[in-house]
Amino acid sequence: QNLKCVTHNLRKMICTWSVSSKGRYGQTDFCYSTNDLPPPVCFKTREKRVEIPVPESSSTVTITTNSISGAAFATKEFEIHKKDISFVPIAPRILSLTPDFSTSTLNLKWSDNGSVFPYGLDAFWQIQILRKEAMEKVTQVTYYSKLTHEDIIHSWNWTSDMPLECTSHYVKIRCYINVTQFVGPKDWSDWSPIEEIPGKDTEPKGSGVFPQDTVVAVGSDVTICCVHEEGQEIQRMTYGPEIYPMIRLSSRSSAIRVLNASASDTSGTNVVCILSEDEMDGTVLFVGYAPDIPQNLSCETSNFLIIKCTWKPGRPSGLYGKRRTKYSLFERISGKNVSCEVNEMNRERVCGFPVLADQKTYDFILGVSNPIGQMESSLLVDLTQRVRPKTPEKLTVSGNSSTSVRLHWFINGSFAEITLLCQTEISSRHSERKLHNVSVPGGKFSTYTVQLNALHPYTKYQFRVRCSAAEHFWRWSDWSNIEEHTTLEA
Amino acid sequence: MAAADSPSAALRRRDLCSRGIRLAGKMRSDVIDLLDTYVEQQGLDASASVAAVEGVPAAAAERWDEQTGPQRLLENLAAYRAFRALLAQMLEEQREQLGEADAAVGRALAAILLQVSAFAYHLEELLRLESRGVPSEEGAAPPPPPHLSLFERKLRGLGVLRELAQWAVRSARDLRQLAKPSPGSGAAPSPAESP
Repeated sequence: QNLKCVTHNLRKMICTWSVSSKGRYGQTDFCYSTNDLPPPVCFKTREKRVEIPVPESSSTVTITTNSISGAAFATKEFEIHKKDISFVPIAPRILSLTPDFSTSTLNLKWSDNGSVFPYGLDAFWQIQILRKEAMEKVTQVTYYSKLTHEDIIHSWNWTSDMPLECTSHYVKIRCYINVTQFVGPKDWSDWSPIEEIPGKDTEPKGSGVFPQDTVVAVGSDVTICCVHEEGQEIQRMTYGPEIYPMIRLSSRSSAIRVLNASASDTSGTNVVCILSEDEMDGTVLFVGYAPDIPQNLSCETSNFLIIKCTWKPGRPSGLYGKRRTKYSLFERISGKNVSCEVNEMNRERVCGFPVLADQKTYDFILGVSNPIGQMESSLLVDLTQRVRPKTPEKLTVSGNSSTSVRLHWFINGSFAEITLLCQTEISSRHSERKLHNVSVPGGKFSTYTVQLNALHPYTKYQFRVRCSAAEHFWRWSDWSNIEEHTTLEA
Repeated sequence: MAAADSPSAALRRRDLCSRGIRLAGKMRSDVIDLLDTYVEQQGLDASASVAAVEGVPAAAAERWDEQTGPQRLLENLAAYRAFRALLAQMLEEQREQLGEADAAVGRALAAILLQVSAFAYHLEELLRLESRGVPSEEGAAPPPPPHLSLFERKLRGLGVLRELAQWAVRSARDLRQLAKPSPGSGAAPSPAESP
C-alpha cells in the first residue's frame, strides 16, 4: 500500500511502500518495467524502499510480499506515472559559515550540486538565520541562482543587527529547483543541518560589552549587549547618562537597543553594564558623521616647489584622534599620493604636494575618509595658472637722483618658467598713492629690480611691492614691507 | 634616621620636607581639579567605584606609623616613578584618542606629570640627604600597558588620578614625619614649633 516515489535528481527515484498486515514476513520480490524497457527487472529486498530509474512516461511495479518461509502471500501491481513522482532536491550542505566579528557579518558558503541537474534550471535557496538560546528566527531570505550542470559554490553575506559575540547565531538552508518540464509535484528540499556561530555567552569565562569601541553613523540604531559570567546578574545598562530597558538574549547575555543615535562627545559615549556586587563593565561608542564633500578645493603654488591645496571641510565628523577624518591627495597623471597632516581644530584644511619636474597639469583627487565613510573631490589645474608668489622680501631702495629710484627685492621661489607681473605702490605726503606695474622675467630664487622715474625731488616716498603671474593672473602675493626713501634735491 | 643629624643636615631636610609638603599640596589640588574635568570629558559617573587598578601603587599603607624615614622615602619614590609612567601613558592615550580636540585635559595631565617628576626628583634629593643610595631606574621600566578596552582605560585613568590624589595626602604626612627632628640632633626646633 501507499506506494510513493520521490526523485532527488530526476534520474533515479526512491519508492517506498507499506504493508498492511501486522505479522512478520520475509523478503519482498520487487519487479518493475518501464515502457521503454519491456522485460521487467526483478530483485529481492528486505527494505520497503528501493531506488529505480525515473521512467520517461510510466513504470509498472509488482510487489510480492513473502512469508518467513518464502511463500508469496500478497502481490500488488502499481502503475506509476510521471505525474505521480515527486521531485524533492537533496538537502543542501553548508560548506562553511564564517563570522567576521568586526563587522558582525556571517559569510555562508554552500555548493549548489548543479552537476546532478541539467543546465539552466532556476534554483531558489531559502536561508534562515536564528538566534538566542531559544533559537528564534531572525530572518529568512530567498536567494536565486541558475544551475549550470556544474557544482558551483555560492557565497552569501548577512550582517547582524547585533554583534555576533552577543549570543549564538544559527543558519540553515534549503532549496527549490524549478524543473519546468517535470510534471510531477515539486517541493522544497529538507533543511540543511544547522550551523552555529557560538556567542561569548557560551564560553565558560566569556564576558564583556559588545561592540567594543566601535564607530557608527549618527542616526544609526545600535544594539549593545552585556555578556556576563554564570551567577552574575545585570542590574542595569546605561547609554550615556540614561538607563535603557534590557532585552534578554540568554541566561548570560542581555542587550539594549539605542535608536537614532545622536553624535557622541569627543571621548565617545560610554555604555555601562552594572552587574551585581558593584562590578562594572562597559564599552565606548563613537557616533559621528561620514566625511562631508570637501568644499572650495583650490590649489596654487607660491614657489613652484610645493603646491598648496586648501579646502573647507564641511560638516565636522565629530570623530577625533585615531578615528578622525583623514585626507590624502592623489595626482592621477603621476600616480603620486600624499597623505595630509591636518589639524582637526582648524576650520581651513591645507595639504602640500610637491611640484613634479616637467609636469604642468595636475589632476588632483582629494580623498577624505573616516571609519564611517569616504568622499572625494577632484580638481584639474594648470600650475602656471595658479601662481601666487611668496611675499617679496628684503625690499631696498637705491638711487642718487632727484627724480628716479631703483627698487630691489627678493622672492623665495623658482619662477624661471614664467614672467612675473610686479606692482609697486608709491606714496608720499604730497601726492596720491600711485601704482606702477612692470613685467619681469621670473628667476630662480632671484632678486628683482625696477626703476621708477618721474619722481619729485627732495620728497620722502614710501614704497612697497607685490607680484603675480603675468600671463595667467591668479592672485597677488601679499605686499612686501614698506620701504621709505627721500629723493635728492634737484 | 641612620645617624644623629648634624644641625645643617636637619635644617636642609626640614627645608626639603616643607617644600615637598607644599608641592604635594599643590599637586593634590591640581589632581582634584583634573579629576572633575576628566570625569566629565570621559563621560564617567563620578561616583563609579573603580576596583584596584593593576600597576597603580596603593596609597594605603599597613603599619604606616612604624615605617622608618628611608622606607617612607623609598615607597614614595617608587610610587611617583610609577605614576610618572602611568600619567605618560594616559597622555599618549589622550593624544591617540582625541588628537587636538579637548586639549585642556591633555595640558592639565602634562602639568601634573611635570609635578610628579619634580616630586620624584625631590624625594631623590631627600634620599641622598639620608646618605641612602637612590634606586636606579634601569630595569624598573614600567610593564607594557595591558591591552584594555577604551572603557577600561577610562576607568583606569580615573583610578590613577584618584590614587595619585591619595598619595599626595600620604606624602605630605610622610614628609611631616620626616621633618620632625631626630633625637640628639640638637637642632633648633622648626619655625612651626617655635613658641
